[in-house]
Amino acid sequence: MNERRYNIHIAAGGRELVAIDDFRLTESSLTVLLGESGIGKSLIARAIAGLLDPDELDVQIDSRPYTEYLKRQETLEIRRDGFFVFQEPSSHLNPLMKLREQLDEGSLAAAPDDKQFLGRLWRDATESQIRNILEVYPKPYRPSGGEKQRILAAMAFKKISTLDDAAPGTLFVFDEPTGNLDDKLRNEFLDLLAENMKNRRITVLLITHDYSLIGRLTRSYQAIAKRIVFEELVLHRGKLGLRRFEPEEYLSWLEERRAATRAPVKRESVVTLKSGPRVFGRTLIFSSDPNGQRQVPFEVRRGSLTYLKAPSGTGKTTVVKMMMGLVKPEHMSMSLGDATYTEHTPRRTWQKQVWGRRMTMVFQHADEALNQNAKVRDVFAGLPSSRFHNDDTLRQALSEFFDLESDFLEKPVKHLSGGQKQRLNLLRCLTLETDLVIMDEPLNGLDFSTAVKVLKQIEERLQAGRSVLVISHNEEIFDALVPSENVYYLTASV
Amino acid sequence: MTDKRDNMATSTPVGNQWLRGLYRRKDALWLAIWLGGLLTLWVWNMFFLNTPALWRIQKAFFNSLLTGSMVVVLAVGLGWITGVMLHMLERGEWKGVYFVASFLTNLLRSIPQIIVVLIGYIALTILLAREVIHSSFMQLLWIASTIAVAVFLEVADTVRARIEYFRTLDFVDAMLCCGISESRIINIEILWRNSRSHLLHKMIALFGVSTFLQCSIDFIISVGLSTDVSLSNFPLTLGSLLARLDSKQDILAVSNLFSDPGYLPVLFVRHLQGLSVAFCIVFTLLCIYNIANGYVRRHRIA
Amino acid sequence: MSMLRNIVGGASKDLRSKLTAHAVGIAFMAILFAIFIAAIGGRREDLRESDWGIERYLDIRDFDFGNPVDRALFRETLERFYPGQSGRSDSLIRAIDDLRQRRFSDPRYKVGSDRQGLTWEIVGKLLPMYLQFLTVYVLVLVIIYLAAQRIALYRFVKMKQYRESDLEQAYQCAKAVHSWRDAKSVRSALPTIVVLIAKALIQGALVVLLFSPAYVIAYSLKTSVDTSSLLFMIFLGIVSNGVLIHTANRLFGLLVSESRKGYVQTAIVKNLHSSYEWNTPDGISLRSLLGLRQGFKAHVFHHIYLNARFQFIPALKEHAAFLITGLVIIEMALNIQGQLCYELLQQILYRQYDVVAMVVLGIFFAVKATEIVIDIWHDRQKRQYGY
Repeated sequence: MNERRYNIHIAAGGRELVAIDDFRLTESSLTVLLGESGIGKSLIARAIAGLLDPDELDVQIDSRPYTEYLKRQETLEIRRDGFFVFQEPSSHLNPLMKLREQLDEGSLAAAPDDKQFLGRLWRDATESQIRNILEVYPKPYRPSGGEKQRILAAMAFKKISTLDDAAPGTLFVFDEPTGNLDDKLRNEFLDLLAENMKNRRITVLLITHDYSLIGRLTRSYQAIAKRIVFEELVLHRGKLGLRRFEPEEYLSWLEERRAATRAPVKRESVVTLKSGPRVFGRTLIFSSDPNGQRQVPFEVRRGSLTYLKAPSGTGKTTVVKMMMGLVKPEHMSMSLGDATYTEHTPRRTWQKQVWGRRMTMVFQHADEALNQNAKVRDVFAGLPSSRFHNDDTLRQALSEFFDLESDFLEKPVKHLSGGQKQRLNLLRCLTLETDLVIMDEPLNGLDFSTAVKVLKQIEERLQAGRSVLVISHNEEIFDALVPSENVYYLTASV
Repeated sequence: MTDKRDNMATSTPVGNQWLRGLYRRKDALWLAIWLGGLLTLWVWNMFFLNTPALWRIQKAFFNSLLTGSMVVVLAVGLGWITGVMLHMLERGEWKGVYFVASFLTNLLRSIPQIIVVLIGYIALTILLAREVIHSSFMQLLWIASTIAVAVFLEVADTVRARIEYFRTLDFVDAMLCCGISESRIINIEILWRNSRSHLLHKMIALFGVSTFLQCSIDFIISVGLSTDVSLSNFPLTLGSLLARLDSKQDILAVSNLFSDPGYLPVLFVRHLQGLSVAFCIVFTLLCIYNIANGYVRRHRIA
Repeated sequence: MSMLRNIVGGASKDLRSKLTAHAVGIAFMAILFAIFIAAIGGRREDLRESDWGIERYLDIRDFDFGNPVDRALFRETLERFYPGQSGRSDSLIRAIDDLRQRRFSDPRYKVGSDRQGLTWEIVGKLLPMYLQFLTVYVLVLVIIYLAAQRIALYRFVKMKQYRESDLEQAYQCAKAVHSWRDAKSVRSALPTIVVLIAKALIQGALVVLLFSPAYVIAYSLKTSVDTSSLLFMIFLGIVSNGVLIHTANRLFGLLVSESRKGYVQTAIVKNLHSSYEWNTPDGISLRSLLGLRQGFKAHVFHHIYLNARFQFIPALKEHAAFLITGLVIIEMALNIQGQLCYELLQQILYRQYDVVAMVVLGIFFAVKATEIVIDIWHDRQKRQYGY
């Protein structure tokens, strides 16, 4: 297969965002681009697809101005025949146009009927249910993030279906297309992608930090196996580079973790939440089996790693926010040590007794959870009972997660890479002396080697007697790490 | 015609690196134009305007600038406190107080700014008549306070909008869960660290609004607001200087251009008092508008 | 009535609570002002009564309180009739002196003055002025709304064309001149440079006009134009005080911020037209932009315009309030008799604060009515788009 190589430099306001001398894209391949978030994967993909605005960014490709690149024949072909599925589905759909209209405009109007794609992506829904979904104007909470992501994917598949005999240059980019999807839907998406690639020589760039895709891709798609390439974008000594990623690296680690699972030791309960809390008009049921047959109270035990699973859109994040007192439920009863918290517990009590003292939570998006304009040092200011009396103690704590430069404490958070931000996000909570740390997608945005380091840090804390509750769509990884007794399933009923 | 992005280097009309940088930063450029324009006017007037009139213009400009600056400081202080207070009341258990406070601020929002300022001036004339206020500075402070009351809600709205924006993200919840106090999150993390450029933009815009309101109301009350207090009691400002008979005569001379376009050079050496004051007002409003716009575009606030 | 029922009945919960708040606000201010007016009126009555008690002393025939002999005689008479009450006598004499002073300086005591506070006569006089004010306001608001939209859209499309400005082009032209000593190359370049600079100056003059306060424009044109005419007032309302330019700028800002959003990128990858050249097949039709029903179907701009306009409607409240400020300034500054705000200034001068309160209340009602209309309009839009 031919390779295309690009020398890409992107800057904004005099500050370099991306500089890579040799970005490779194999034609007619499915290139899975891995790497920590914020490193520049999306920017590079957009640059190649001709989607960056030269008025906003200073872009050079192969040392030529971007306006010249935009006029190249191959770029025009990508713009005409290709497609780009963007990362955040909510902001990439027009809230003032019905989804049906957005699925049918522009070059998608020429596509044949999209029932086949929609039927596959909404397997459990009837035709009229799908029709109802498409008649809505997309709003923040309706349809769900996963549904919006499927709409964008359907657009891409519609575009592919308009191509008879695609030229190799046609590029289709999928940027984090499975972030909001559970395992079943993710597999459906990959199946559709593989089928569409089978008879067409399109080039697909799949950007992801969901390493659990690797297993599915290597095992399940023999017809395109030879066309699948794994690349990882890494930052090494300040320079961005692309390296071939061997799936075996991840798969063998996973096997090792599965084999190493320890027998659970029954310890006392740190947090117990009675099954059946009611929030936003829905009753949430905890069970120890995926079908919801065996209802149990939700318990987190001392020194244990607990995993809460549910299909996307069920309410996992709502549950943990409710446990943290951030969301007021209609009904709840939670024991935390010798104290009980219910829907009547005033906010002041949560503030004085729980937040940062007995429980804490690591949020999914480090970009939102951290103050981008603060310095690294300021991230730890204002915490209750701070252990960091001076810079040395702070540096010591940071060195667990980071290779420290001399001025690291003075660096603004916005200048850190995505992986560094996520590590800082984790560390801020791990330094607090709480009984329980809740983690929402803790491996979000991390590359494989950093994810391994973070998991190791979590294990050390467990051994020290702290408890961790995890929500994650990296089911493959956490199924290997968490004993089955500590895995809970969440279902919701109206 | 070419697309100017093709060669950004030649699209700027100056060759020097520093000037090129200035040209790209529209807010800094218009600040330079404002200061340069005022300086040029001052130098011109030194040659062609009589000294007493020049002193009057300088004094009026200084008073207007001082008042505008005081308005900005007072409005930001009052707006910050109001915005934070309304947020705390809404989130807290004092729902009744929040309702009343919100109701009153909405009422104030519905009263045109000029009416609020006018009421303030009426009160000032009463205070002057009763000799409660004496000095010029106190009068200017009173005027600035009045205008600040008319405009501070814009700052309060900005403060609330910024807090609401961060509340929709995980920002606030993530810090609360780490035990950081809500007042620290709002005042330091959201407003100080993440909203300074928004507040600075608002301050620039408010300076423009206050200049406009101030000059307008000073001009209007030239007919007088009280029989006990005459205009001579009020400090000299650009608006009141423009309202003087001699300045009005100067402005009236502009219409001579319609019948006699050759009169244009004469305007630049005669009728300078009125024209200079009018120029100061209009030029300042124009430059403030462009500075604010340039600032917004550069910092991508909106 | 049925229209009102339709509006309220079909209104969302959000709109109903807003309308309730507006109604409560109107009622609250009306009651507050009514109390204020009644208090002023009452005080004026008390003043008249107390004044009447003292006035009769000033009407004594052949008696002049300015004459020291007459004053001493008066004092002695008081002491004879009210012996041992020198304090009472002193305060009576002081009150008489005070009334004399007020009669001399206070315009309310002037002969022929109609400054008698809030009467039906005054209300009858002010009502047509108020209606005229409202008419001008609504007319100017509608024109500004329509004009600001077009200006903002035009400005956005021009920005997206990424052309050099007239001054930049003039500079490039001047730079391209081979030698300024060569008459031939100067002759060929000079007309272009002059035309470009003239265009820039005319645009600059237009911008200056839009920023000028009304009184500056009015006095500049006073000897050539009838500045007291209604038409001139409407003209000033539209072009002066920066109202038009700030309103257009608001929509322009919204267009710019919406153009950066993700859904625009999705529209681009769906191959909607994204050129901003005038009147080309994949560009923007100037007629469509200036026409009354703007639509840019099959163009990325349609997405941007829809969202920007949706947010622009509630923002109009702020600009409408500023427009009223501008119209008040225009009427006051031009000193035209028969205008509501000029009359307001006169009433302030003569301390008829009850009349002032009435006029201010009327202006408040105008602002509130605007807010209600905009809220209803925005609510209909929201319901249309599934909010």
